[in-house]
Amino acid sequence: MNEKKTGIDRRQLLKGSLALGLTGLLTPKGLWAKDSSTVTLPFERGRRPLVAFPQKRPLMVMTTRPPQLETPFYIFNEDIFTPNDAFFVRWHLANIPQEIDMNGFRLTIRGRVKQSLSLSLHELQTQFEQVEIAAVCQCSGNSRGFFQPRVPGGQWGNGAMGNANWKGIRLRDLLHKAGIKGDAVEVRFDGLDQPVAQATPDFRKSLPLDDALQEEVLIAHSMNGEALPMLNGYPLRLVVPGWYATYWVKMLNDIEVLNQADQNFWTTHAYRLPANPCHCVKPGESLTDTVPMGKMPVRSFITNLEEGRTIPGGEPCTIKGIAFDQGYGMDRVLVSVDGGQQWLSARLGKDYGDFSFRPWEAKFIPKPGHAYALQSLAINRIGESQRFGARWNPNGYLRNVIETVNIQAS
Amino acid sequence: MRVCMVVVVLLWISGLAWGLPANGENRGQVSILKLPPDPISFQPGSGSELASRYCLMCHSAEYVYMQPPHPREDWMEIVNKMKTSFGCPISNEDMAPLVDYLVTQNSLQPFPTAPPVQRDDQKDTPDQSSIQSGDSQKGKSLYERHCVTCHGPGGKGDGPIGPVLVPPAANLTLLGKQSDKTILDTLRKGRPGTAMPAWEHDLNPQELNHLLSFLRTLTP
Repeated sequence: MNEKKTGIDRRQLLKGSLALGLTGLLTPKGLWAKDSSTVTLPFERGRRPLVAFPQKRPLMVMTTRPPQLETPFYIFNEDIFTPNDAFFVRWHLANIPQEIDMNGFRLTIRGRVKQSLSLSLHELQTQFEQVEIAAVCQCSGNSRGFFQPRVPGGQWGNGAMGNANWKGIRLRDLLHKAGIKGDAVEVRFDGLDQPVAQATPDFRKSLPLDDALQEEVLIAHSMNGEALPMLNGYPLRLVVPGWYATYWVKMLNDIEVLNQADQNFWTTHAYRLPANPCHCVKPGESLTDTVPMGKMPVRSFITNLEEGRTIPGGEPCTIKGIAFDQGYGMDRVLVSVDGGQQWLSARLGKDYGDFSFRPWEAKFIPKPGHAYALQSLAINRIGESQRFGARWNPNGYLRNVIETVNIQAS
Repeated sequence: MRVCMVVVVLLWISGLAWGLPANGENRGQVSILKLPPDPISFQPGSGSELASRYCLMCHSAEYVYMQPPHPREDWMEIVNKMKTSFGCPISNEDMAPLVDYLVTQNSLQPFPTAPPVQRDDQKDTPDQSSIQSGDSQKGKSLYERHCVTCHGPGGKGDGPIGPVLVPPAANLTLLGKQSDKTILDTLRKGRPGTAMPAWEHDLNPQELNHLLSFLRTLTP
């Protein structure tokens, strides 16, 4: 029994080594924990050391200062909720507080409100209704490294995303307690992180008032049943389900209600998209008219099979994956094994809510010796599907093309 | 002055008393975040000191080395954005040589990445005897090459970049009370949360000792 088990482990280890050699995209846990200190993403300059930052297991380091850490992709196959210690990390400014004293910490609500508020974490946890929501947090530039032609910016693989159960209070409960004045139009959020140079604009993001008042927008103090890790925004993080993570301000300590459109750099100049329905331009074209980053288009991924994997021919093979969108929820996921010529329906798994990862799976019997190009195509409940051809924009945002995983049957 | 301090202390004590949460979940909790030092630095070459001076203020060198090959125009645009949008105080005459350096680094094969993580107990820490062996003259020339832009010629934190940093560059004439080990640790690891980078990849232990010896001459 023991011997047999060891034998299996060794085989898996060998397979893992092969996979790492070919792409390194997915690696069995045992292998990288013991033997491997890097993962190589399948694009030029894709080598990433695995390093454990505070409260984190070893993650793929894109940059150390400020920290930008990517979740190794196999993690998404292990649990529909991304563990806190594996959740991706992305900061803009290096001046991140080295310590936070909760005796002194206050969240302030000010600006165009009838009564400014200054609340401790304890007051937020005891004076307001506590609500919980499962939601995907995805970096605007997730998958930027796959853009062709390549674009400047953080060179992420597909792991700058995560799904978590967020618990906290509704932003609108807080705004209503403060009392919104009649001329309010936007709400601006600021965290404890600061720039290193005086002239660098502080990182702040704003939401239109109507969006800020949506029921699902939370000020979260907990993530998957625990306090937020420092690197994911302890003690408070804005959670804007369906919207890209740029709006999910970390270490949130200040909320300002504005009576005019926010003019700060991070809203007017950063995180902008081409102002056309596709939010794309021809490669090399620069932007003229732009609109701010917004909600996430529908995406899906195969999580249990990585590029270059060899599977046994003649036996049923399960293809597993995840799908998500901006909150309409999944209608169906289609799967192709022949690069998109024929599609069959996948079986949707447990529904954890419209903003969560939705698991799915499909089965097929590979013929011995054949190569397969696996694809998945998610369609949400308003009929939006993933794109058949990749869009391009100079900032590398909004990738949601159908992804392909090539495998071989033995 | 003393009255003020008493009031502050009283406020602090009463604040503690009535700020205590009933469930105590976060009572008196101070959360500490200790981030690792930069794992790599800019490779030697013409213009590397410009990249170290300007780029390392705000971010690690990985920001450059993770980039796929970009044309020179893109690097010019990036450096321009750092200057105009993010307020990096790059002088006009430094623009072109800085861009040239970044373009050469962008074509390095293989590109530099972080070495495997080394445990602290595996790293050499200079002992007291080697600290004594620093040469302050050699330290002075290292200082003029690497430190003067932020800390200024006399070490007062008044170099051209020093005052615009948050927090501003440290006044090194006030280091008198700090132990050799503390100063060397800062030189080696940098100071997280500030623009002070880790120098252990650029300077060897002997050079760090030379620098330390020179820093000691700045203290009145």
